[in-house]
Amino acid sequence: MNNKKSLDLLIAELKERAKELTCLYQVQEILNNPDYSEKDICNGLVEILPQGWQYPDICGARVSLMGHVCHSKNFKETPWIQNADILLQNDRIGRISVCYTEERPKADEGPFLKEERKLIDTIAERIGQHFLHQKLKFIFEEQKYAGKERKSEWVVIFDMLRQTNPQLLVRLSRKMVNYLYWTGIKEAQILLERFSPWYENKDEILEENRPFKKRIDNDQVNLGYEIFEIAEKYLTPNQILESIKKWTKEDRSGFMVNVLENMGSSLQDIDTVLERYYHLAPQMIELSEAREHGLKVALIRKLLTEQSDYISVAKHHLDIKSFKHLMKHIIYPEGSHGKLGGKSAGLFLAKQILKNFEEENEIFKEIKTPKTWYISSDGLLKFITFNNLEEIVEQKYNDIVRVRQEYPFVIQVFKNSFFSQEIIKGLLNALDDLGEVPLIVRSSSLLEDRVGAAFAGKYKSLFIANQGTKEERLMQLMDAIAEVYASTFGPDPIEYRAENDLLDYHEEMGIMIQEVVGTKVGKFFFPAFAGVAFSRNEFRWSPRIKREDGLIRMVPGLGTRAVDRTSNDYPILISPGQPQLKVNVTIDEIIRYSPKYIDLINLETGEFETVEINDILKEFGNDYPIIHQIVSILRQGHLLQTRPMGIDFKNDYPVTTFEGLISRTNFVTVVKDILDVLQKQYHHPVDIEFAHDGKNFYLLQCRSQTAGVEYMPVAIPPEIPPEKTIFTANRFVSNGQISNITYIVYVDPKKYSEISDLGTLKEVGKTIGRLNKILPKRQFILMGPGRWGSRGDIKLGVSVTYSEINNTTMLIEIARKTKDYVPDVSFGTHFFQDLVEANIRYLPLYPDDHGNIFNEEFLVSSENLLSAFLPDAAHLTDVIRVIDVPATTNGMVLQILMNAEVNKAVAMLSERTDITEEDTTLLNQGQSVRIKQTDVHWQWRLRNIEILAAQLDPIRFGVKAFYIFGSVKNASAGPASDIDILIHFIGNEKQKSELLSWLEGWSLALSQINFLRTGYKTDGLLDVHIITDEDIKKRDSFAIKIGAVSDPARPLPMGTALKK
Amino acid sequence: MVKDSYNPFKTAQEQFDRAADMLDLDQSTRDLLRNPIREFHFSIPVRMDDGQMKIFRGYRVQHNDARGPAKGGLRFHPQETIDTVRALAMWMTWKTSVADIPLGGGKGGVICDPHNLSQNEQERLCRGWVRQVYKNIGPTVDVPAPDVMTSPQHMLWMLDEYEILRGEKLPGFITGKPVGMGGSLGRKEATGYGVIITLREALKELNMNPSDTTASVQGFGNVAQYAIELYEQIGGKVTCVSSWDQEDQTSYSFKKQDGVNLKELRSITNPFGGIDKKKAQDLGYEILPGEAWLEQEVDILLPAALENQITGANADKMSKRVKIIAEGANGPTTPDADKVINERNIFILPDFLANAGGVICSYFEQVQSNMNYFWERDDVLSRLDSKMTAAFIAVSDFAKSNKLNMRDAAYVISVNRVAQACKDRGWV
Repeated sequence: MNNKKSLDLLIAELKERAKELTCLYQVQEILNNPDYSEKDICNGLVEILPQGWQYPDICGARVSLMGHVCHSKNFKETPWIQNADILLQNDRIGRISVCYTEERPKADEGPFLKEERKLIDTIAERIGQHFLHQKLKFIFEEQKYAGKERKSEWVVIFDMLRQTNPQLLVRLSRKMVNYLYWTGIKEAQILLERFSPWYENKDEILEENRPFKKRIDNDQVNLGYEIFEIAEKYLTPNQILESIKKWTKEDRSGFMVNVLENMGSSLQDIDTVLERYYHLAPQMIELSEAREHGLKVALIRKLLTEQSDYISVAKHHLDIKSFKHLMKHIIYPEGSHGKLGGKSAGLFLAKQILKNFEEENEIFKEIKTPKTWYISSDGLLKFITFNNLEEIVEQKYNDIVRVRQEYPFVIQVFKNSFFSQEIIKGLLNALDDLGEVPLIVRSSSLLEDRVGAAFAGKYKSLFIANQGTKEERLMQLMDAIAEVYASTFGPDPIEYRAENDLLDYHEEMGIMIQEVVGTKVGKFFFPAFAGVAFSRNEFRWSPRIKREDGLIRMVPGLGTRAVDRTSNDYPILISPGQPQLKVNVTIDEIIRYSPKYIDLINLETGEFETVEINDILKEFGNDYPIIHQIVSILRQGHLLQTRPMGIDFKNDYPVTTFEGLISRTNFVTVVKDILDVLQKQYHHPVDIEFAHDGKNFYLLQCRSQTAGVEYMPVAIPPEIPPEKTIFTANRFVSNGQISNITYIVYVDPKKYSEISDLGTLKEVGKTIGRLNKILPKRQFILMGPGRWGSRGDIKLGVSVTYSEINNTTMLIEIARKTKDYVPDVSFGTHFFQDLVEANIRYLPLYPDDHGNIFNEEFLVSSENLLSAFLPDAAHLTDVIRVIDVPATTNGMVLQILMNAEVNKAVAMLSERTDITEEDTTLLNQGQSVRIKQTDVHWQWRLRNIEILAAQLDPIRFGVKAFYIFGSVKNASAGPASDIDILIHFIGNEKQKSELLSWLEGWSLALSQINFLRTGYKTDGLLDVHIITDEDIKKRDSFAIKIGAVSDPARPLPMGTALKK
Repeated sequence: MVKDSYNPFKTAQEQFDRAADMLDLDQSTRDLLRNPIREFHFSIPVRMDDGQMKIFRGYRVQHNDARGPAKGGLRFHPQETIDTVRALAMWMTWKTSVADIPLGGGKGGVICDPHNLSQNEQERLCRGWVRQVYKNIGPTVDVPAPDVMTSPQHMLWMLDEYEILRGEKLPGFITGKPVGMGGSLGRKEATGYGVIITLREALKELNMNPSDTTASVQGFGNVAQYAIELYEQIGGKVTCVSSWDQEDQTSYSFKKQDGVNLKELRSITNPFGGIDKKKAQDLGYEILPGEAWLEQEVDILLPAALENQITGANADKMSKRVKIIAEGANGPTTPDADKVINERNIFILPDFLANAGGVICSYFEQVQSNMNYFWERDDVLSRLDSKMTAAFIAVSDFAKSNKLNMRDAAYVISVNRVAQACKDRGWV
């Protein structure tokens, strides 16, 4: 039904366009008839004009031309009339009027369409041009044959121009004198000086601050004459004529310069200008290289973004023509000066680059981009003013707690607001064009351009099913746009902006309305697969993979699961430069780290959903596009590549491997070629988003690769005092920085290799696992010999599972030379993807490499707290060393700086920093990044715990003492940190359960406060550890925290609030 | 020089010495069995994808083949050492012997990390391995199988190379092949079923009726699932199963007092035996901490997950009702726990014997491949039953007549069989 409806609409529209074209041709025919007088022309025009309009039956026309007036029979002055003046060199020589005799529904200009406005203007312009041409021809002929002596052709033109267009004449003269001067003609130099402002009163001009006023007067025209006389001496008449012709064509583009270089021009103006350019080009208009360049840059600046990096790349790849299509898909408010924003600009440019390289690489011909419409960035402000929501703009200056509390309200207010008429019209056009397919509404913020990719992802992107009647679809779309708009006032971006001093900038956010790539499978809609690809691989899993080999993260269905890290699932990782080197090799690994869930759009409910892949395959396996290239089948411990018809979805166990895609299609080559060409043209690594519907590869996004703040290359300070250096590394280094490390767990490689029985070797692993539970999360590093988690010879690496190391912030493997042999390191292979998804960093150390520092002294002789933490592991103190960094170094912490560009990393002692090094630099851009880690998280936590303790009745609950320890006590709590409290309990069971439920209440309340402040959702914020007299006697579990050597628990006074 | 570092081969030798002392073996037998009878060390040149040559180090160790062709896995590991391979080869000799199948023990490997090798390079490495050693292995000499980081795919490449070199079809050269490519049916059931066959025999000996018993199982992987399947078939009831939860990085026990439903649990389990916690809750299972499986009021404990699970620290948590521990996993019980188990007179089915179903099925694969005639699943399983039953009875009788516990008995009987074969052949 709906398809048919939109088809009908389309046909109707095409018919209109055809009518208009016919009308234009007929006008041209009349004008081309040399026998027609002006009167004839008038008569002809009024006959044909009404045919070009939407309602010819009730359409009348009147044409006045050089004193003649004609009109069609039914023409009369009605309220529904449209006029256009016919101009001959700025003088009005006539007028065209078109009227409707009866009322018709409102369109763009009263009942008239905007195309009809264009039509009437074009016809008027054509007539004007026709008469100009006549006039010039006449003058030309007259000049040519009037005098006895035949003048040079340029003289004829010169005289003609003097009469008709002295400004052009002056400009042409100027070009000529420049040209002559450059060719090295001495005489020209003198003339050139006379053209310049210095010529008349040199000194004054230089001294004065006043702008020089230029006049066009007879002098200049005469000067022009002199110039051409000189030209005649040195150039052939043909050369002169050709130059004049060329420059005149170039000069026609002046209108573009006027509009594009004018700060005040609106998108509407630009559209008109481009429209005119496309009509004139290529016969009537020619741009010099410099001018074209200038116009391009102006267009990029006005339409896309002002980011200089972008412009410097884009100007080489975009031409003015490439904006034609884009301009037709921008929705903007009246008088708009908005832009499209970084995300839109990125995709537009990437697509253009690929198109430009189609000749070189056939593959790029197959690359598509989804149909996209844009709303200009000032749409948001217009939306706000249109609905009088100005007070919401001030929202950003409020306390973050309030912002978070009010955010749901803001969303509702936005969703219940209205869009202005021109935006709604634009959206309706967009919906017609896009059809009834699911859409994604993405933000394309200008702030992103300002601060780089670090800001990306702060705003919402929303999927909508876009099903139903046109009204329903419009409602869905507006709802989604309003919600994306509202997300600019969400707590996360506001907090980020506050931390980075960006609050005072106006938030301007463009919107991209993009069709979702995919197909309908059952009631669901999704792409066969999608993902992201990076031209630099920061997660190498084998020494054979180079950074330049890149990385693809991909999943079946919508790419959301590949873009974000997921805690319970894994994307498939491929290195496009080395697709055959897999992360996962054994069947166990392959299955364990394969994607289990799929994101998709449910067309029935209109919801975005996550479901298990195998549930989808059981039901719709045979309809899933190219499924045989996505999954392998597990049969009797053997993973089989599948063929199009070889899968029994009811009984087989499919495992997502993308094996078919990798080994039987050119997919990896496609991605690699795209990354390569884009990286080369951007002069910078890039990352792209893509999707595939089973038939075509779609590029969804492209930007310079800066994989978030945590993966920025960090400057390595050149001179670090040796006593402050713990180690340096020079191989397989990735980018990033880890600050505020307070504990080092060091498994001494030599001592470990000396352990003589299997039991003890295994116990080392178990002990690491216990430390992993006790030490403050993400504030300690694990350093050990060889391969962590080794499943082979346990001697050569501590045997741990992922759950025994999952709280560390970094895993370090030490490869010490034995005899003449340096052992391989594992790259964390056994839990590589767990490390990636949990953002645990990995680094191998080669202490014996020349030039590397390995401060064994510090690691071996600092006080070992192992037996303090785990008294029963005291016999392992030789092997496992737990170092409390601040306690050993007078309050300093460990910081690890890593820079993959120079392949260097250093671990150094430094003061505790709340701001990462001020001199942290973005090497690739020369910008400095500042990461402000606010210390508010521990402050309010501590404050509230003090209140809690003061409210706690020690007698009622049987509590002897109350302690706080961990990150809150240490002032290092982050937004997700829990609060560790230790309760020395002496009461009975009843008291215990009462105490626990009392604390549970607090825990939930604190968690809610934390959510309001930070957006982190937890099941409770308190981590309560109950210890008894006996524990203290035995120094069991957390009891060791009381009066501990390092990081002792701090007692807090109880019940103080009650006594008052 | 590193002093006294852990050496798995030394540990294996010490274990052998203990058995040898019990059997009072003569010096020549000890000298023969303390070391592998043959070792092959060789270099494998492999052309890498980038055109360069790389040399890999390969091994094959045949510990003893007095009772039949050597049998044992082939490992790809970056830090493989010859001592590990020797220890594992010796272990295979005892393992085939306790199951009383006509095979010896071997093991092999290549020092490499498959994570650094493409599929094509791995294929060339597999073929290279065969080319270096094919004269010394074969269906009637030494039969490799998959092991750490090797898969059925690797076995097929190796088989293909071997058959090319020999110019004939010899599917019995290697085991662990997929069904239809020379693999045997019943393989996935074999280990789990084998555990229950020995359990059934043990119950007989203890005069217990299987349908009066209940069991608690640790793990829900392949072994555990098929063990539960057969245990239910002989009338038993499993009330608790524990499984690892990848998401929470911990394990949970799933309890249903009137018996878990294997079929429904399987339907909510991933290929690693991870049971979906939420779905289990919806199905009415009680979710308990991981260790709870050990504390259940049951007659039988079936650890079928990891090693070192029943320890000196938690052995006293076992219910008084527990009569039998059937070790489906490798080394689930520590020596400390063994003491408690012996004191409480709990009947133990040692891993060595209880999970011999796997190696017996490999033997069947070899036999079927050699005659190029493949049995139905039921054939395989009924033959498995008779083999396992016989193996159990032999060990049990040996334990009784020599007053040994089952664990020691299994070990000693296997060493004894090999020693006898060497003697009979006139090697010692």
